[in-house]
Amino acid sequence: MKKRLLSVLLVLVMVASLLVACGGSDDKKDTEAGATDASKETESVAKETDGEKETDKETEASGGNGEIVAKEKYHFEIVSKGFQSTYWQAVYKGAQASAAKYGITMEFVGPNSESDIADQVQMLNNAVNKGPHAIGLAALDTKAALEGIANAVEKGIPIIGFDSGVPGAPEGSVLANASTDNYVAGGVAAEGMYEGIKDRIANASGPVRIGEVNQDATSESITQRGLGFIDKMVELLAADGKKVAVVGNDFYIANKKGATVDEGEADVIIEVRVPAQTTTELTAIEAATILNKEDTIAIFGSNQTAAEGVVTANENLGVLGTGEDDIIGVGFDSGSVIKAAVADGTLYGAVTQAPVRIGEVLIELLIQAANGEEVSNVDTGAQWYNAANIDSPEIAQNLYD
Amino acid sequence: MNKIKNNIIVKKLGAQRTIVTLVIITLVIVFSLASPAFRRYSTFVSIADYTYNIALMAIGVTFVLISGGVDLSIGTGIICYAIAGGYLVKYQNMPVIVGMLVTLLFGLAIGLLNGILVAVMKIPPFLATLCTMMITRGLGTISASGFGIPWPPASAEGGWFRSIFKLEIGGTKYPVGIILIVISAIIMTIVLNKTKVGRYIIAIGSNKEATRLSGVDVTKYHIIAYVICGFFAGLAGIAYAATFASINPGTGAGLELDAIGGAIIGGISTTGGQGTILGALLGVLVMSVLKSGLPYVGFQPNWQQIITGIILIGAVLIDIINNKKKPINK
Repeated sequence: MKKRLLSVLLVLVMVASLLVACGGSDDKKDTEAGATDASKETESVAKETDGEKETDKETEASGGNGEIVAKEKYHFEIVSKGFQSTYWQAVYKGAQASAAKYGITMEFVGPNSESDIADQVQMLNNAVNKGPHAIGLAALDTKAALEGIANAVEKGIPIIGFDSGVPGAPEGSVLANASTDNYVAGGVAAEGMYEGIKDRIANASGPVRIGEVNQDATSESITQRGLGFIDKMVELLAADGKKVAVVGNDFYIANKKGATVDEGEADVIIEVRVPAQTTTELTAIEAATILNKEDTIAIFGSNQTAAEGVVTANENLGVLGTGEDDIIGVGFDSGSVIKAAVADGTLYGAVTQAPVRIGEVLIELLIQAANGEEVSNVDTGAQWYNAANIDSPEIAQNLYD
Repeated sequence: MNKIKNNIIVKKLGAQRTIVTLVIITLVIVFSLASPAFRRYSTFVSIADYTYNIALMAIGVTFVLISGGVDLSIGTGIICYAIAGGYLVKYQNMPVIVGMLVTLLFGLAIGLLNGILVAVMKIPPFLATLCTMMITRGLGTISASGFGIPWPPASAEGGWFRSIFKLEIGGTKYPVGIILIVISAIIMTIVLNKTKVGRYIIAIGSNKEATRLSGVDVTKYHIIAYVICGFFAGLAGIAYAATFASINPGTGAGLELDAIGGAIIGGISTTGGQGTILGALLGVLVMSVLKSGLPYVGFQPNWQQIITGIILIGAVLIDIINNKKKPINK
C-alpha cells in the first residue's frame, strides 16, 4: 500500500513538472488589456481608425466603422478554430491590439485541431453561458454549432463571425462577418500564377497540367478558395482561347463554374487533389503525385498546410522554381516555411490574407454590435506576394512565422 | 502445402511475415507497372522519409504489445516531444543537440509515466495511454502556444541533424535513415530475444501470473516495456522533426495507429506474448507503400484507409486461427 501511495505521488510530481516545463507561456489567451488606460485610449480612437484606412489600401474598411466607441467596458467571448497554425496567432494578435485600443476585455479560445468539432461546440456553449456582451465565432461546422447559436440569440447576445465566419447560419443570428472573401482570394492566386505560366501555355506543343492541392473538400474557406482559383483560371485561359478540363476530386469538379471540356480535348488540365486526412505527409504525397507528372507546369497549395505539403514534396523532387523548365509553385498564407520558400524562389509567389486585420475588425464589429449599432460584412482583403515585395511593410505586417 | 511450409525462407521468416513480404513485393510491382512516376528514385526517398517516424514507433510499441498492453500516446506524443525540443531551438536559441535530447527525454518521461500508470497503479493500458495521449496532445499545443514549430532547415545553421536521415551528396539525396532503422531493429531484436528484459516482457505477455509466481519482478519489467516504447517515441519525434519542415500542434492523432496497425499486420499477437521486430517493420512498410502508392495509380486517397482496414482484419484473423490451433499442436 505504501509503495502504491508513493507511486501516485511520483506520478503527480512528474505531471506537475511537465506542466511547469512546457506550459510557461500564456495558454488561456485571456486578455485584460488596457483596463487602466481605457479612457485615454477612447479619446484617440477616431483619429487612429482614420489613419488606418489610409495606409491599408487593400482592405475595404466599410461597414460604417467611422467612429467606434465602446459604450461601456465590454467583455467578449471569442471562439476560434484553434491554434494549430500560426495564422490564428496573427488573428489573435490583431484582436488583442484592438481590445487594448478600445479598452475592452476578451477571452480567446479554440480547439486543439480543426477536426475537433465537438470540443468547439462545447467552447461555444460555455461562452454563451458566461453571458458576454457579444460573441465572436469562427465555426468549424455550422450545423453542430446551431444549438449554441440559438441559445445566444435567445439570450440576446449578438454574434459576429470571423475568418470563414459561420456559413449557412440561420437568418439574423450572425449579424456580420469580418472575413476574407476566399473565393476572391483564390482568384488572386490564379491571377498571380497566370502571369508566370501565360507564355509557356501559349508556346506549349501539347496539353499542360496545373495542379491544385486542397486540405479538404468540406470546410467553407478551403472549398471557396479552391473553387475561386479554378473558376478564375478557367476564365483567364478561356479568354486566351484555351480549352480547359478539370479532373480529380469529385466535389470540386461538381461545383466549378465556367465552360470546361473532357480531358482528352483539353489544352490545359486542372487537377484537384485532396488528401484522406489533413496531415503533412498525406498532403505531400498528393502534391508529389502532381509534381511527378511530365506535363505539370504549375501547382497551387490552397492553405498553409497544403502549401507546406507542396514544399515538403519538392524536397526530394527539386522541380519547383522560377526558371524556364521549372514547375511554378503558388502558396497561400504564410509561416516561416512558406516565407522562406517564396524568398528563395522555390515558390513563385503566394497569397496572404490579412489575419491581423481580421482580428482588429472583429473587435470593432463586436463593439458596434454590443452598442446596438447597425453592422455589415467587411472583406478584410487578400494580397499577392513574391520575392520582390515580401519585405514591403504593406505585406510584411500580414505575414507571420 | 507442406512443401511450402518447409521452404527454408518461410521457415526462417514465419508464415505471416512471408505473406506480408509477398504483399509488399506485389504492391511495389503493381504500382511500378501502373505508374512511371512511382518508379522514380525520389518516390523511394519520399516513402523512406514518411516511414522513419512510424517505423521507430513500431519498434518501441512492439515491446508494449508483446507485454499484452498497448500505447496510444505515441502518435500525439512524438508531435508533443518534437514541439518541445523545437521550441527550445527556435525561441530559446539552444543548440539543436539540446533540442534533440529534450525530445528524447520527454519521450522517456512519458514512457515511464505510462509504465507506472499501467504496472503500478493497475490502470488498463488502453485507458492509461488514452489519458497520456490526451495530455500530450494538449501539452504539445500549449508548449508551442499554438505556433507551428519549424526546426532549422537543412541549409541553415543547426540543419545538420536532418542528415541523420537524409544525406545530400552532390545533389543526390541518400535515405541514410534506413541504416539507423536497421541498426535499431537488430539491437532491439537481440534485446527482445536474448536478454532477460526481453524474455521477461514476453513472459509477462504470455502469462503474467505465472511469471510473477516464478519470482520475476513483473512490475519492474512491465514498466521497462513502456519506457522502451517511450524512448523510441522520442526517437520518432526527432525523425519527424528531421523529415518535415514544420510541426503543427494538435496533430499526430492517428500516427500511433499506423505503428500499432503495422505491428499487428506483421504478426504481433493482439493478446501479447509473441511477435518480432522484423514483422512490425514489414507491417509498417505495407502501410507506407499503400499510402504513397495509391495516389499514383489514380485511387482516391481514402482507399488507403479502407484497404489498410481490410488487411488488418486479415492479420487479426490469422492471429486468432493460430491461437486456436496451438493447444492441439501441443
